[in-house]
Amino acid sequence: MADAGVKNDIRSNMWRTGAWQSLLTFFILSLAWLVGFSSRLFAVIRFESIIHEFDPWFNYRSTHYMVEHGFYNFLNWFDDTAWYPLGRIVGGTVYPGLMVTSGTIHWILHMLHIPVHIRDICVFLAPIFSGMTAIAVYFFTKEIWSAGAGLFAACFIAIVPGYISRSVAGSYDNEGIAIFALMFTYYLWIKSVKTGSMFWAIFTALSYFYMVSAWGGYVFIINLIPLHVFVLLLMGRYSKRVYIAYSTFFITGLILSMQIPFVGFQPIKTSEHMASAGVFALINAYAVIKYVQSFLTKAEFKFFFISAVGGAASIIFCTVVGLTWAGVIHPWSGRFYSLWDTGYAKIHIPIIASVSEHQPTTWVSFFFDLHILVCAFPAGVWYCVKHVNDERVFVILYAIFASYFAGVMVRLMLTLTPVVCVLAAIAFSKTFEIYLKDDAPKSSGKETSEEPAESKNDRLYDKVGKTKKTKEEKPKDQDAMGMNIKTIVIIALLMILMLFAVHCTWVTSSAYSSPSIVLASYNHDGSRTILDDFREAYYWLRQNTDDKARIMSWWDYGYQIAGMGNRTTLVDNNTWNNSHIALVGKAMSSNETAAYDIMRQLDVNYVLVIFGGVIGYSGDDINKFLWMVRIAEGEHPRDIKEADYFTPQGEFRVDSAGSQTLLNCLMYKLSYYRFGELQLDFRSPAGYDRTRGVEIGNKNFKLTHLEEAYTSEHWLVRIYKVKDLENREKVAKPTIPAQKWKKRTSKKTSRKRTGSIKNQPKIVKGKRKSGKK
Amino acid sequence: MEAIFSIPFTVLEVPNLKLKRPGWVKQPSAMVMFSMVLFSYFLVTGGIIYDVIVEPPSIGSTTDERGNSKPVAFMPYRVNGQYIMEGLASSFLFTIGGLGFVILDRTNHSMPRLNRILLISVGFISILISFFMCRVFMRMKLPGYLMA
Repeated sequence: MADAGVKNDIRSNMWRTGAWQSLLTFFILSLAWLVGFSSRLFAVIRFESIIHEFDPWFNYRSTHYMVEHGFYNFLNWFDDTAWYPLGRIVGGTVYPGLMVTSGTIHWILHMLHIPVHIRDICVFLAPIFSGMTAIAVYFFTKEIWSAGAGLFAACFIAIVPGYISRSVAGSYDNEGIAIFALMFTYYLWIKSVKTGSMFWAIFTALSYFYMVSAWGGYVFIINLIPLHVFVLLLMGRYSKRVYIAYSTFFITGLILSMQIPFVGFQPIKTSEHMASAGVFALINAYAVIKYVQSFLTKAEFKFFFISAVGGAASIIFCTVVGLTWAGVIHPWSGRFYSLWDTGYAKIHIPIIASVSEHQPTTWVSFFFDLHILVCAFPAGVWYCVKHVNDERVFVILYAIFASYFAGVMVRLMLTLTPVVCVLAAIAFSKTFEIYLKDDAPKSSGKETSEEPAESKNDRLYDKVGKTKKTKEEKPKDQDAMGMNIKTIVIIALLMILMLFAVHCTWVTSSAYSSPSIVLASYNHDGSRTILDDFREAYYWLRQNTDDKARIMSWWDYGYQIAGMGNRTTLVDNNTWNNSHIALVGKAMSSNETAAYDIMRQLDVNYVLVIFGGVIGYSGDDINKFLWMVRIAEGEHPRDIKEADYFTPQGEFRVDSAGSQTLLNCLMYKLSYYRFGELQLDFRSPAGYDRTRGVEIGNKNFKLTHLEEAYTSEHWLVRIYKVKDLENREKVAKPTIPAQKWKKRTSKKTSRKRTGSIKNQPKIVKGKRKSGKK
Repeated sequence: MEAIFSIPFTVLEVPNLKLKRPGWVKQPSAMVMFSMVLFSYFLVTGGIIYDVIVEPPSIGSTTDERGNSKPVAFMPYRVNGQYIMEGLASSFLFTIGGLGFVILDRTNHSMPRLNRILLISVGFISILISFFMCRVFMRMKLPGYLMA
């Protein structure tokens, strides 16, 4: 599809070039949009139109709230059903761009009397935006290189798994719209650097504002653009265009970004944003020096320059250090810091390290998410380095930093993907350009029909043609040979691209299209079983528990309980309060009595655990359990020790060889309660855990402070009710009441009678008082 | 103006210093930059950061049915895990593939016919090798790759 753009250029020579080119461009881009949209629909077709995973449930819930109660009520929303006793100020702790976007679409559709439920808009928002991303990437690449490369890039980004992983239908998350905002901001930035007009710079700032409202990854933009400016200064590529673009963008963007309640004063307070301010000061100083240089003599200027640079650098440095020390500027946040010191999160912040998408990347992820593009990417960098100009410096910087960040965290593969598509598109487009063109002299007039933006880079090609003409004695057979080889190369590259499309579809369908709240398992004959335990259990919560019931679970399920079960949770996926999570982790990893104390303190009514031992679901709470222990240990090092949960050999096992602390902790008991009685098939013993592949170690136990309230069909979700306090202490010896009973019946003196008053004069019935006589 | 500048030097004696930029500090050439970028890309795609943080063994070992331990190059079924050697091997392939594209571009200069054909075939073959070896690696890693 993409190569059609290049191929058709040859034919377009016959007709009017411009018209055909724009028609083809339009056609290819709309096809890319269509393909990108439809390849993201696997989940909807296989299951249903449903919100996926964890965070999307919160986004959906707050979008729903916004649509029902209006925007201002949403901004002021205090959600008392999350983070019970604390609550959460949702309006101030959320990036509202996503909700506002889908709310706006909903509003427009309803204005046109198209009654679409907000859920469907949320489900299909990310696929629709993927098409817009493709177009933004097309424009970006067109500015960087050429329109042909842009078409390649648009087609790549439409189907590349690295981006699909975050934008399938139903994964209603910030990243889905943020990648569009990211690439569009970069496009506008390149445009404003190229033109040097305030018009484009203001648009860059506006697009940046949208990005800030949509995703925390805006920090990447506000560091990359200053870096670009800084490197341009270092390379001696300073120009008025850069000055105008950057100062306009910085000032407007700074003010706009502070309008988002969640961001607030961070842009002038935190270290993440200081680089942009520093570069702003630097470029102004540079401009002043340039200006002063114009009317000073060389010697004067030298002195002035040295003192000014030295003075300015020391002042800026002292200010930043001083303000940081005084606490006005906050040092880097842990998440950001862990990008540079890669071991930081592992040691200091287990809650960041515990999230699987924060793990460092392996080679498989690179190949899995990018496939052939990962090979073509260095070649694209090579072309950009070779023909460097202002805007290609930007792409190179983007490529370097994004690939480093992608190596640190799997999740940041998402920011790498667009630049890989752009650079791989450049490599492919350039290769195709060389190998598709005829070497024969008759085609020499064709270069003019190439895309006009390309004319600068066509010099390379011209060289071949020219040398051919001068060396006339090298005749046709070389051309023929050349043509054969070229055809083979082209066909092979096309095959590779085709396999790339196959790979993308396979990865999308098999790895990234699972809603993860509905599971599917395939039987041997290929038929499919749907495991709908999560929704079953959440629906049970919704129907059978009190409206104000508090549910304790590990934080992964907080958003789902709130979204589907509509009940109060203690902790959820917005992991803002580490100590609260640690408290829940401590409850889960203590024994039942100690856990009961914590649960009484936290006022818990129900405990929910996910248990995959029956069906072999590996993402259950026992497998996550070590993180609970680690997070709890971070806050309560005296009560919880990670080493207690391992065998002396340092293994984590739940069979009879496992450590006693593990076999008696609350999480173990809740997961395996009554599991010892269950024999799954005749080959395995009773209590055989399919996920861990072992027979559990502690089978027969009773729960004292909790009782089982609900277990879903495949035991995936188990809910326990926390019992109320008992009325009184149970009496230890059963003989005592019998004794008392006897005493009570036989030895009842007048003093022990009910209602007797102390120091009352005794009255004997049937006798008159002697004094009256 | 001159008077203000000279105030500190009434107290201080100007040292006889001569600051010179060392000769080797200069703006690196484009190709030096590119090779640095390519090398770091090689390390990053090989999961060097993963290796530093998680510290996996360089190759794994398994025990077969007779109790002999034999080495395993790939950590199977784990997308989030790797051994050091497999990461380096595959990132080597990625880099080879990238260089293949670069070599394909270099054929575009004027040169003798034989050289040109050789260059084209070298570039072309390195792309093909890297691509198909990556597929083979992927099959070893995820045995169900591209099936069903």
